[in-house]
Amino acid sequence: MTPPTPPRSAPPAEVATAAPAGGTALRLRRSTWFGMRPAEWALVAAILLAVLLTGLVDSNHSYFRLPWQSLTDILRNTALLGIFALGATVVIIAGGIDLSSGSMIALSGTIAATTMLALAPKEIMAFKAVGPAVVGVGVLAALVTGFLVGTLHTWLITAVRLPPFIATLATLVGLRSFARGLCESCTHAVVGTKSAQINVSDPIFKVIRDNVWIPVTVFALLALFTWLLLTRTVLGRHIHALGGNEQAARLAGIRTENVKWFAYCFGAMTAALAGLFYVANESVAAPVNQGRGHELNAIAAAVVGGCSLSGGVGTVPGTVLGAIFLRVVIDAVSKIIKTGADVYEGLIVGVVVVIAVTFSQLGALAKGGTRLLPGALGLCAIPTLALLAGAIAAMTAGRDAGIATGIGALCLLGLLRMWESRRSAK
Amino acid sequence: MTTSPFAVRMLGITKRFPGVVALDDVTLEVRAGEVHAICGENGAGKSTLMKILSGVYQPDAGVLEVNGRDTRFTGTRDAERAGIAIIHQELALVEDLPVAANVFLGRERRGVLGLLDDRSMAQECAALFSQLDCAVDPGDRTGNLRVGDQQLVEIAKALSLDASIVVMDEPTSALTEAESARLERTIQRLVAQGTTILYISHKMDEVFRLADRITVLRDGRHVKTVDTTATTPREITGWMVGRDIAGHDLHGSRLRGEKLLEVRGLCLPWPEHPRGYRLKEISFDLHAGEIVGIAGLMGAGRTELLEVLFGAGEDTWSGTIELQGKPVRFRHPREACAARVAMVTEDRKRLGLFPDLDVAGNVSLCSLHEALRLGLVSRAAEEQLAAGPVREMGVKTPGLHAAITGLSGGNQQKCIIGRWLLTEPEVLLLDDPTRGIDVGAKAELYSLIDGLCRQGLGVILTSSELPELLTLADRILVLAEGRLTAEFSRAEATEARIMEAATAG
Repeated sequence: MTPPTPPRSAPPAEVATAAPAGGTALRLRRSTWFGMRPAEWALVAAILLAVLLTGLVDSNHSYFRLPWQSLTDILRNTALLGIFALGATVVIIAGGIDLSSGSMIALSGTIAATTMLALAPKEIMAFKAVGPAVVGVGVLAALVTGFLVGTLHTWLITAVRLPPFIATLATLVGLRSFARGLCESCTHAVVGTKSAQINVSDPIFKVIRDNVWIPVTVFALLALFTWLLLTRTVLGRHIHALGGNEQAARLAGIRTENVKWFAYCFGAMTAALAGLFYVANESVAAPVNQGRGHELNAIAAAVVGGCSLSGGVGTVPGTVLGAIFLRVVIDAVSKIIKTGADVYEGLIVGVVVVIAVTFSQLGALAKGGTRLLPGALGLCAIPTLALLAGAIAAMTAGRDAGIATGIGALCLLGLLRMWESRRSAK
Repeated sequence: MTTSPFAVRMLGITKRFPGVVALDDVTLEVRAGEVHAICGENGAGKSTLMKILSGVYQPDAGVLEVNGRDTRFTGTRDAERAGIAIIHQELALVEDLPVAANVFLGRERRGVLGLLDDRSMAQECAALFSQLDCAVDPGDRTGNLRVGDQQLVEIAKALSLDASIVVMDEPTSALTEAESARLERTIQRLVAQGTTILYISHKMDEVFRLADRITVLRDGRHVKTVDTTATTPREITGWMVGRDIAGHDLHGSRLRGEKLLEVRGLCLPWPEHPRGYRLKEISFDLHAGEIVGIAGLMGAGRTELLEVLFGAGEDTWSGTIELQGKPVRFRHPREACAARVAMVTEDRKRLGLFPDLDVAGNVSLCSLHEALRLGLVSRAAEEQLAAGPVREMGVKTPGLHAAITGLSGGNQQKCIIGRWLLTEPEVLLLDDPTRGIDVGAKAELYSLIDGLCRQGLGVILTSSELPELLTLADRILVLAEGRLTAEFSRAEATEARIMEAATAG
């Protein structure tokens, strides 16, 4: 297009040659490769590695015997997690946190189910179809509830000035209980007996349950929408600015409370959407257990995908990959150790988050001379970590493997400690 | 006790920070048992010198002697052990703890079983306060005390350390007159007990009442040390500012246009402060093609004034502001933007920069809607938008997508000014725009601001450096403790006169 611009006081390698038409403006090539950052490519590699390992180690060879079923399992779980992880991403980039999405999932399902129960009590109780109109109203009611919850969060945060952590912690606890109460009083009022769950058997929900491409398509479209929003709209830029420096954003004339309003509503409404898919999947709205603890999975997916909890940083591709990675690893563990994924899900998420974030900071640790195992704290951390590793190995692979892993971890960490001491002595 | 007549000798102290020499071969000799005042403008190096004395910083060159002994502090603990206590301008107290706990913070008394011995700490604390002749309850929550009493807590802490040398950094800046008077009595009592006091202050009357000797610093250099009896306040302020005004005269032959802004009787309350107001009865005009400078010491209300004009303040104010003849009352910076008022905030890092956005993102932020194509932000259009000011102002950056945090302070500031110029403002508020920027970049910013003014913008400029105002401004307003104490035309203004007005009251 235009001839190269001479670099100004910068390492030449970093200066790209393209300039906008007619301009002599300087451009710096973004550090991306096919549109993704190195850390995101590392996630892709990690996902592939996890799949490959599972294929090799799994003694049932389920990836080879039942490739289609394995794929749909992972896709469905990823889509469901990803939908509200995208919401969490927007909230986190805007400098906030939403701890309530798990409860929002339960509430959303309950609202949809109770609305349908109120409109078509006979059909619901008889496990019959309620018709598209009633389903539509139920879905709409759930999404509106998401908007209302987002509004409540924003009000608590901007007008009452609660820290986001406290505001959404309150709704985390409160909304699930509210959903259960709602479910019980609605069933009591309509049917006469209290019930903590409502069965939903409309064919529309069955179609969604049986057709994995529906949640996957919704997830893909939502990801595309969120990506456009965050990278190509003024609002998206304001979300980044708000999370990066809230005071400066206000002083730059950004209505920060409106941006927050959008972010928290987006977070709650994506959780509401996910809640509908959970109801479809399980053919029941069960406020007591549906989506329990899922808020942390969403935050974990965002963090593994590169979001910074201090705000301003994060990408949609990162979160999508983070969600895939989490689900692939959970699936891998359940395939390899042949127990239900739910038993070790929390443990896996915890370990994956710690390892992913530690890896992203390894460079700083190696360079800065800060120690991973400093002083007395480091000494106590060595047996703690070794015990943890040994216990996990013993539970999943037997006693001998546990002992071996524990001793191995102890030796490795001991060596690391010695190496660090020697380095800092220099 | 001491073998040397000097409690503190700092010889040839030099301290460099990236881009600035904060202290250049400064020598300070403080006699044992005297009150020694240190005077200088903002940025003269007073605080840096005191931070070296209290072990916060290590000097790059020079010798430090305390009580005749060669010393080298590696941290504040070393200084405490040598008997030096510093009472910072911003008090370092844990507000939620009781007074006694703050006095003994980090050196808690322990009794049986190693449990905290609150009673003995409270008793000792009470004894310290009676020694200071003041009534502070050691059990009170520290945050509930008034600022003056909080300062006494710091002094009690210094006493409990058996400090023989107490440094006070502008201790009366937040005090009422009665509290200041009490502090003066406390100081006299400490001196009577043989304590050496280093007293940093802008306020000439205090300095002349309290100090035995005065040292004047300017631009990181030692100017003079004199006996208080042998000098006058006017002479001291003269030494404080008496440098050659660097750079050239920029303000000549500007065309003053129509009246843009008229401020009348502006008051901004400050309920939780004994003074009761941040700004009181401020009135002035701003014309197109004119730079109005606002001088004042820290806490005089410069930033608060600009924030009111920009709608950025939290508190409601009274008075009237008219923009081009129409009364305005901005409740959010957004409204000010829409009315073509722009503000470049002080403290770039905290209030101006978006560290996670690149150079282009930082520049285009306020006018990003102009880069919309079919409802989406077009990269190319945004780059073109940002490239304008980046090129015109000669921002030195490796590229539009470079990290803003990698740029020098001057270039960051240009980016922020560029951000606002893209909104095509008519009134430009600049709050200490050259703070922390090196001399060369300052000169560039001066000619930039001058150029903008010549294009017909009305500029209000605050600065903590008087030469800057004298270089740029057509008129200079002086604020002292929230009140407008003087207005000088370009011809009338001198540094000494401004300083006198700024330290009035």
